[in-house]
Amino acid sequence: MSVAHDVGVTGVGVLQVVVIGIGGLVLLGLMRKVRARIEGRVGAPVLQPLRDVRKLMRKERLRPEFASWIFPLAPVVLVATVTVAALMTPLITTHPPLAGGSDLFVVVYLLLLGSTLVALAGLDTGTAFGGMGSSRALTIGALAEPALLVTILALSVSSHSSNFPVIVRATLADPAVIISPARLFALAALLIVIIAESGRLPVDNPATHLELTMIKEAMILEYSGPDLALVTLGEAMRLALLLGVLVNLSLPWGVASSTSVGALAIGTIVLCAKVAAVASALSFVEVFLAKLRLFRLPELLAGAFVLALLGVVSGVVTK
Amino acid sequence: MVGALIGVVAAAAGAALPKRWRVPASASLVLCGCLTELATSIRVLATGSDAHWHSIDLLPFTGVTLLLTPLGAIFVVLVTVVAVPATLYWIGYSSHGASARTTACNYAMFVTVLLIVPAAASVATFMFLWEMMALTSLALVLTDQGRRAAARSAGVWYGVITHAGAAFIMAAFLLLASHSGSQTFVAMTSHARTLAPGARAVIFLLALVGFGSKAGVVPFHVWLPRAHPEAPTPVSALMSGAMVALGVYGIVLFGNVLLSGGPVWWWLIVLALGGVSALFGSLHAVNSTDLKKLLAYSTTDNIGLALLAVGASGIFVATGHGRLGALSLVAAVFMLVNHAMFKGALFLVAGSVQVASGTRDLDELGGLLRRMPQSGALFLVAAAAICALPPLNGFVGEWLLFQSLLQGVNLGSTAGDIAITVSVAALALAAGLTIVAFVKAAGVGFLGRPRSPGANDAREVAMSMRVGSGLLVVMCVVAGVAPMTILSAVERAVRAALPRVGSRSVVRGLQLQLVGARGVLAPTVLAASLAGALILAVSLRRALARRRAVRVVEAWGSGRELVTARMQYTATSFAEPVQRVFDDVLRPVRDVNVSHVAESRYVIESMSYRSRVDDGIERALYAPVIKVIRRWGQYARRLQPGSVHRYLAYGLAALVVTLLVVAVAG
Amino acid sequence: MNHQVFDNVLGLGCGVVVLSAVVTLWRHSLIAIIRALAVQGVALALVALTLGLHGHDRGLEVVAGLVLLAKGVVVPALITKVVRHDVASRETDPLVNVPASLVAAGVLIFLAFAASRSVTALTSNAPGRLIPFGMAAMLIGFFALATRRKAVSQIVGLLLVDNGIALVAFLATAGVPLIVELGASLDLLLITVVLRVLATQMRRRLGTVDLDGLAELHD
Repeated sequence: MSVAHDVGVTGVGVLQVVVIGIGGLVLLGLMRKVRARIEGRVGAPVLQPLRDVRKLMRKERLRPEFASWIFPLAPVVLVATVTVAALMTPLITTHPPLAGGSDLFVVVYLLLLGSTLVALAGLDTGTAFGGMGSSRALTIGALAEPALLVTILALSVSSHSSNFPVIVRATLADPAVIISPARLFALAALLIVIIAESGRLPVDNPATHLELTMIKEAMILEYSGPDLALVTLGEAMRLALLLGVLVNLSLPWGVASSTSVGALAIGTIVLCAKVAAVASALSFVEVFLAKLRLFRLPELLAGAFVLALLGVVSGVVTK
Repeated sequence: MVGALIGVVAAAAGAALPKRWRVPASASLVLCGCLTELATSIRVLATGSDAHWHSIDLLPFTGVTLLLTPLGAIFVVLVTVVAVPATLYWIGYSSHGASARTTACNYAMFVTVLLIVPAAASVATFMFLWEMMALTSLALVLTDQGRRAAARSAGVWYGVITHAGAAFIMAAFLLLASHSGSQTFVAMTSHARTLAPGARAVIFLLALVGFGSKAGVVPFHVWLPRAHPEAPTPVSALMSGAMVALGVYGIVLFGNVLLSGGPVWWWLIVLALGGVSALFGSLHAVNSTDLKKLLAYSTTDNIGLALLAVGASGIFVATGHGRLGALSLVAAVFMLVNHAMFKGALFLVAGSVQVASGTRDLDELGGLLRRMPQSGALFLVAAAAICALPPLNGFVGEWLLFQSLLQGVNLGSTAGDIAITVSVAALALAAGLTIVAFVKAAGVGFLGRPRSPGANDAREVAMSMRVGSGLLVVMCVVAGVAPMTILSAVERAVRAALPRVGSRSVVRGLQLQLVGARGVLAPTVLAASLAGALILAVSLRRALARRRAVRVVEAWGSGRELVTARMQYTATSFAEPVQRVFDDVLRPVRDVNVSHVAESRYVIESMSYRSRVDDGIERALYAPVIKVIRRWGQYARRLQPGSVHRYLAYGLAALVVTLLVVAVAG
Repeated sequence: MNHQVFDNVLGLGCGVVVLSAVVTLWRHSLIAIIRALAVQGVALALVALTLGLHGHDRGLEVVAGLVLLAKGVVVPALITKVVRHDVASRETDPLVNVPASLVAAGVLIFLAFAASRSVTALTSNAPGRLIPFGMAAMLIGFFALATRRKAVSQIVGLLLVDNGIALVAFLATAGVPLIVELGASLDLLLITVVLRVLATQMRRRLGTVDLDGLAELHD
């Protein structure tokens, strides 16, 4: 197969999903490793999450006695929504398989479907923790929503479109737009929202199982075996996807504009490098952060909202 | 108009037939009426030509003028969307106290009137039908008044607000009609252009208040959370899904058709009313524990969003962006149709829950999905639709609204830019809070473990009730996966309402493609790929797992053995974080009572904690008004001493005054 | 300088001025707020420098240097000392809570945007269009003055107002006369020093720099 060989739409789709799937888990391992190193520990190998998921997949499936069919459905929906989102996001190439309907709004709502199902599953277990986790996670999600949609508005002011490939292509054609205040404010707001949505510090501590402080972990406390594997995979994929969105909006260079093998190979490597760099930086910063009190979070998200707002205003003012 | 006749026969059947035949006969006649009207409106939408009907004999002096335009036709479709399933539901539901003569008769009349209100084309016809709608629904809200004080109070609130609203609408019509010298809508439209701007504004604002009160817009929403829960379930569904949407129809009728558009500030008011309603409604929906009350507040939320779209549309048209205006109006009407589908379904299932478990209080429910598997599943899907989750209809509606707003930013009008940004923020926050509210409703009500014996003993309800709500849920899915047909119809209607705006079709095969092809959505492809990914994920779990069987285990209770249902989060505790975040807006009332044992004040005997979220607008706006009215009422009582002689003297005095006036004037 | 780069850098400078004003409402720690003020001073200097370089205006370049020195370094350093001395109160104690303040900031940004449309409509050049940012910084400063209790927050609020006005002046006239800017900066320096002395006195007498404590002097 030559470098110029065109792998077609299906190939691109499979590639993006696989890269996000495996890459997401490796990303988790990498972030843990960076944190461990800075704290002076050796830390688990970078590939540990992959092994964990493989091991969990082979375990027995358990179900809490009062749970309904929502409980086993939620992990599957989580993975499925991130997969579809990965199919429509320009990560490796500007021509993802579902490019036609690839809209930032659609991506956001797809991810929302997955997290809503997981929140429902938290209530489905009939325990105190599940309800606690989903109540908190949804509150954060609701407060992050205005910042998120206004960010999308800010990103699309210049091109009048929230179609993701259109935005990325426009950015590639005119790179100066990246250092425009509109884009920078929007990206800052987006970063805060991504941190909040994927449960990283200072919003939620992904490593904690302390009963009263956990948010995301509380929701999925009853999951074990293959279901937990799917939840872990889904969450990892979502983090990778969101970071991929962030880097492709801020530094879109290297994204393949064709579907030839060579371009895709470069695209994959560049994407992985960019996401890994951002993730390491995040992980580095996280070491110095403490988890915010739950009721201080509105301040953080209101700040993100004002940032997004500034993005829109500067977009309109400096058009 | 045959449908109306069938409806009247249905009402007569409901009033006359013996108990055994009353509901089935009346319901089947109502269904026939609905289908006839549906056929007429589909014909109007397909051909684009209006359907006329005129009779000078039915109403004295003025006659009845009916004219079904495409805009009216889409609202007739909207009414039938709820009316058909609700009527099917009624057949099974009637055995639970909704089969009395008055109920059957009024129900049939109510549906019939709803069906022809959008066709009314003269002031007298419209006001007659509008009042019929108010009176029949008022009578239906009062169905249970003999047993429940809450129903009586709801009736009073609803009656007062709806009649005050009708007075405003009447005033608007009279002003318009006196100018044009005719009471038909066609004549009024052609004369309205020559009105002075001030007069036009007064007319529009009067209509906005009048129809806004029917639409349940803040601050006129107070009757919704009282009346919707008290009415019999099919009526709640109809009131919330269809009647309230007719309020928005009225605003569009006045703003876009009769007055042919207006300046930006009109629409800024509409947009602001919509945004505030959306936020207020969704916030209170999160904090409601009564399932039907939650749905009622969420109606204020959804209508608010639709009104926001209407406002945005008006702004776009007024600033010369007609295509965008048409797009926003398409979004508004489509959202109303969607709302009829999912809110109808949610109300119907909520009624089933009440029948099955004897309560609507979410804090008493739980675990219903395993006890009522079909109704529970229907509620979950409808809840996902109202949360605007793909691939259901609510999502397509919000996408359209978001896109129309997004395309409208940066077009040169500062007011427009600010309005749009604020709208997007309001839309987003309302959407987020809606998800909290409905995960709460579905999760606390249907998942987990039952919190009361009533919920524990709940069983699946009658077939017709499941079919009724199921039909609506199927519509939600179809309108989400393949919205093309409905959207084309909505577009026809909007083009008729905004005649000067030639809008290019949104629908392109399986895709929705917006102005300049910059916004594209492929709902069918989206749904198909979601289904594919779902199958993939399930088979991944299957393929890798060594053992297929799922072992049932006890849930983790922090090491304790006895994990009871009381340890679960309740609806109140679920909403607590949101309540705390919006403490300044909601101002919840919290009581903590601690009683100590007699011997020592350091040992607590019992503690009670109570927290309640009141409607702030009701407290701040209505309480003072009611106080003043009550004081005047006390004065008025002095006129009524109970003496027959005094009353006869009043009569004499009135006669003398009248004759004096005649003598002086003559 | 490349035209688009000029636009972007200028916009960025103005954006950072508003952003740091927002940050003063956002953060609880007084030190962080003063740091934001310093950043704002630097951003202001950057705007002046960019305008100076673009318009080949030597005077403006000098002003930029002075602004950097005064607003970016000296004033923040002076205020920092006040805070460092006062171990007991290193947190702001706002009258209006932070999320509400931020929403208010959003409203003020919109207000600035709407109010200065008539001004920006007159100018077609890039600096003129950015005037709303200056207005927004000024309004947010006023808001901070009205809703923050600590004496230090008051100084910061005042400086925000001044920075906002300076930004508007830079953008509207492409440069204030050097002497005016110098005079204004001197005034502020004086005010800062006076407030600092006042704060020290207050702490000695009342044990706090909470301005609400001054109400007790009334009795």
